Amino acid sequence: MTLAEASTAPAAAAAAAPPEDAAPPRRKSWFRRLLRDKAAVAAMTVLGIIIFGAIFAPLLATHDPYVNSRSVMTPPVWQAGGEAEHLLGTDGQGRDIFSRILYGSRLTLLIGLVSVGIGGFIGSMIGLLSAFYTRLDAWLMRLMDMMLSFPAILLGLALVAVMGQGAVPVIIALAVSSIPDCARISRGIAVGVMKMEFIEAGRAVGLSDRDLFRKYLLRNCISSIMIFISLRFGQVILIGAALSFLGLGARPPMAELGMMASQGRDYLLFAPHIAVIPSVVIFIIVLCANVAGDALRDVLDPRLQA
Amino acid sequence: MSTPVLEVRNLTKHFPVKSGIFKRSTAAVQAVTDVSFAVGAGETLAIVGESGCGKSTTGRALLRLLEPDSGEVVLDGEDVIALSPSRLQGARRHMQMVFQDPFGSLNPRMTVRETLMEPILLHRVASGPAADKMVSELLKTVGLNDYHAERYPHEFSGGQRQRICIARALATRPRLIVCDEPVSALDVSVQAQIVNLLQDLQKQFGMAYVFISHDLAVVRHIAKRVAVMYLGRIVEEAPAEEIFATPRHPYTRALIEAAPKPVPGAAEGREMVMGDAPSALRPPSGCAFHPRCPLAQDICKRERPELRAMPSASGTAAAACHFAETVAAMPAESTRPTPEILARRLAVLAEARAAQAAAG
Ligand SMILES: Nc1ncnc2c1ncn2[C@@H]1O[C@H](COP(=O)(O)OP(=O)(O)OP(=O)(O)O)[C@@H](O)[C@H]1O
Ligand SMILES: [Mg+2]
Repeated sequence: MTLAEASTAPAAAAAAAPPEDAAPPRRKSWFRRLLRDKAAVAAMTVLGIIIFGAIFAPLLATHDPYVNSRSVMTPPVWQAGGEAEHLLGTDGQGRDIFSRILYGSRLTLLIGLVSVGIGGFIGSMIGLLSAFYTRLDAWLMRLMDMMLSFPAILLGLALVAVMGQGAVPVIIALAVSSIPDCARISRGIAVGVMKMEFIEAGRAVGLSDRDLFRKYLLRNCISSIMIFISLRFGQVILIGAALSFLGLGARPPMAELGMMASQGRDYLLFAPHIAVIPSVVIFIIVLCANVAGDALRDVLDPRLQA
Repeated sequence: MSTPVLEVRNLTKHFPVKSGIFKRSTAAVQAVTDVSFAVGAGETLAIVGESGCGKSTTGRALLRLLEPDSGEVVLDGEDVIALSPSRLQGARRHMQMVFQDPFGSLNPRMTVRETLMEPILLHRVASGPAADKMVSELLKTVGLNDYHAERYPHEFSGGQRQRICIARALATRPRLIVCDEPVSALDVSVQAQIVNLLQDLQKQFGMAYVFISHDLAVVRHIAKRVAVMYLGRIVEEAPAEEIFATPRHPYTRALIEAAPKPVPGAAEGREMVMGDAPSALRPPSGCAFHPRCPLAQDICKRERPELRAMPSASGTAAAACHFAETVAAMPAESTRPTPEILARRLAVLAEARAAQAAAG
């Protein structure tokens, strides 16, 4: 090899690669990018604190959530008449609200997570499959339309009538009512992805249906579906709370946020905090879930990375 | 041409049009009808024609990305159309595709390494460290660098993405690559690089190309043979030099004269094709081109001209026109200089090639 040949080889390589990426920049990890989003960090911190409180409720609770005390309808500490012993005051039966909130979020979050997990999984699978196998599309979507016409509250009432009051019928009602929504949304997302040329490119490479579904369709839909499911999580918590409010969910004396709000209704005029505090917690959970879901979508979608 | 790598016989694909509440198919878009051609190893056959004439449908049916209604596609002696789904998956190793849209044809969730690794592992071309080495060799072959491997498609320019697509198509050392307008979404200067890359790779690895394009400058540069399609049928097929020197079908003639579009205001050829392409849903009777043909006679409305062999230097020209001899004898075109823009485009291609030669 002559000297001239040796020196032109790298030059040719350099000519082929445009100059703008001469130095390979490191991509920041999605987690790092998530941390730059202030609202998301705040939302996730708050949500984290609530989840932490729910998980470690037995350790953090200052009182037994089921034991009545003599101080009834005590306002929270920051109000006149508040007692340091009961941080958020007590309810109509003298139970410590702070402790009941901890236990109550436990049940509320569990009902929300389990039902949105089951409903979201089944629903999005149905949606993805009907976009992938177009022959199934019409059938599955008609089925979803039928399910959609059956409101969650009604389903909950029917299930409770059959199975008795408790968390399980509420979870089933919420999961089933999440299926058609998740199916339709994920079908919409998946139909858009199926139109992209890379699906055909994957087929041309020789991928099996299974790989094409997993590596091409699912991977391109999952973040959009996750954001929808996280928004749905907020809705499910609300419907779950509504069901409890109607007296369908948790069986008293178990604490559940929706039920606590419902019980506080009777004292709304004299001791509004009994209804307001659990309602505010529900509001915060739903809000934070939505903000965090939005932020996650932004960082998980590589097409949005500038 | 000795034994061809690819032989296509009577390929037909019609799309049923469903209408009414009962979804009965009432008519069919005759996207591709009775298309036959052959491509030898290391050869390029270009398919040209205006938008909607069935070029992409032909390319996709060839690779069975669409199931054709009838016809044979023989790749190295094996009829691809008759293969069972599992055998077809294996056979895809030998036939690959480069798509038009470099922004849409790469999975945005896969790094370049994953994209290139996929066909290698799937078809067991290599595994383990050998596969890694192959990926970096592929990148080098198409003019990219090792550090590009960990990036995602959105981090690349159009031309670079098309290089990745080419590398993916090349990974299994296929016998045939169908290129569906691989450069029409790119800048002219980048087009030249990609076209030259495709040419170099063909020299190096000897695969056959079916090169779909509506850009005659590119076709003239890369193709050995050219097939002209009109409303789903091949109306003329001949070696590239012959088809540009003596077009035998009035439609080919019009294409050459019209493309690339003259600058607005430039004098238009007297034989310019008139009107829009008729619908593939209801192709005209007889010769499908007759409503737009300046030479049309009564016979053209009644009888569809078959594709027939024409006397030519190579002896392999064919045209489907009742008056092919008349068209071939018409002097106007051969004396007319290459349109200015076409000439300029060819110059760009040649320059890029020269620059590359000087650098390498
Ligand atoms: N999936 C489909 N269903 C129905 N009709 C289709 C389908 N795909 C293509 N067609 C029709 O078949 C005809 C040929 O389409 P094709 O995409 O092959 O054209 P083309 O020559 O590639 O055009 P272009 O240059 O615009 O890419 C068109 O009339 C088109 O509308
Ligand atoms: Mg096309």
